Amino acid sequence: MKKLVATFVLGTVLVAGLLFSQDQPTDTASELEPSIFSISNTSSFF
Amino acid sequence: MEIGPYIKLHRIKQEMTQAELAEGIVSFAYLSKIENQKTEASPDVISLLCTRLGIQLDNEKDITIKEKCQEWFGQLFEVNSKEEIKKNYKELEELLENNHSESLVMFEIHKIRYFLVLGEKEEALKQINNLAEISSTFDSLHQFYWYKFKGNYSSIDGEFNQAMKMYKLAEDKLNQLDLAEEEIADLHYTIAVTHSKLRNTLEAIEYADKSIDIYRKQYNFMRCAQCHIILGISYRRIKMYEKAIKNHNLAKHLGKLNKNKQTIQLANQNLGYLHSARGDAKEAIHYYVEVVNDPEIDLNAKLTAVTSLIKEYYSIYNFNKTKEMIEKGFELLDDYNTSESYKIHYYVINTYNYAIKEEKDKFESLVIDEFIPYLKKHKDYANIVVYANMLGNHFEKISRYKDSVKYYKLANLTYEELISL
Repeated sequence: MKKLVATFVLGTVLVAGLLFSQDQPTDTASELEPSIFSISNTSSFF
Repeated sequence: MEIGPYIKLHRIKQEMTQAELAEGIVSFAYLSKIENQKTEASPDVISLLCTRLGIQLDNEKDITIKEKCQEWFGQLFEVNSKEEIKKNYKELEELLENNHSESLVMFEIHKIRYFLVLGEKEEALKQINNLAEISSTFDSLHQFYWYKFKGNYSSIDGEFNQAMKMYKLAEDKLNQLDLAEEEIADLHYTIAVTHSKLRNTLEAIEYADKSIDIYRKQYNFMRCAQCHIILGISYRRIKMYEKAIKNHNLAKHLGKLNKNKQTIQLANQNLGYLHSARGDAKEAIHYYVEVVNDPEIDLNAKLTAVTSLIKEYYSIYNFNKTKEMIEKGFELLDDYNTSESYKIHYYVINTYNYAIKEEKDKFESLVIDEFIPYLKKHKDYANIVVYANMLGNHFEKISRYKDSVKYYKLANLTYEELISL
């Protein structure tokens, strides 16, 4: 029984750790990649 | 390009059937064989077909056309006046309509890029569909550009998985071709941006590094700056914040050297987001404000910074500043609020406006009936997580726990989907 509980606890910790280490979802409206074209001084960078 | 596919291309361009072109010259079946390179027609037959299509066969002119084409192709890769690009396009179109030229197919393929640079997405798609019929006759060089520009179309269309497939097909052609370094750098840079969009962070770094090496050697500072921004975004995602900041600052520095406001403010916007993601609202606000206060940047860039500020002020409960930014957002949107390009900003500003005024019904109706369906349609999973969470939180506060659970669940499921992408 103790082994079962220990396995369960360890599994939970591992899953939680894995989720924590994942990248947080990005606010795609705020973080912006540059255009695939060259950026001019006047045109949009979207 | 062989004469057969060349005749076929001209015939399709002029919307002529095989029967119409062949009439009185050769049989319909024989023309089909010529077009598909299954037979070699006599020079007399070729000459008659070209005359009917209104094409002159002049080798000297072909050399001039080739040079003009090379110049125009180059203009599509660097920052050039759109008017100049359009002028040269019209001149080439006229020349190629009346003369047989080896450059015709390459010109037709580059038209895809031309329409995309001008922002004419529908025309680019039309051109892709026109060329699909003769794409089986393309040689390796044609195929390289064909795949690359089809990828460019998918990138502009927001279909990044499809774009990546096309870029990889173009990349496969590299070992069969002897292309200039800047061509290779451009493809690698484009692949880096696409990996970044797909959140393949390590691959984005790998390709940005590859292309920046070439751009450095060529002193192409603006492209170096664009690579630094990709690196800045990528290092933030793997939480190497110092390296991320260094790259964004390098991009800013290069932007300043070239007096390129768009690049400077793109770096500032991303620096703002970096600090926001780290929970440093004060620093985030500092960078976003720089973007908002720049009179030279375009509306979309300004709206992005304004909506970022709305979220930032709201998160630190500075509701006066949130209201101020909401008003600024409405001012900027003004007559454009129905345009598709500004739709996301329209929804964000209105969502926070109803939230801060505690207009519950309007808030719920906007986010549930319009904003979340809009985000689903655009596969914007990251924002679905943000606004589904906001709804869950809202319902929890007013003790509507069943609804609250529903939206927290949506946020969780979408988050899982985002991770699996």
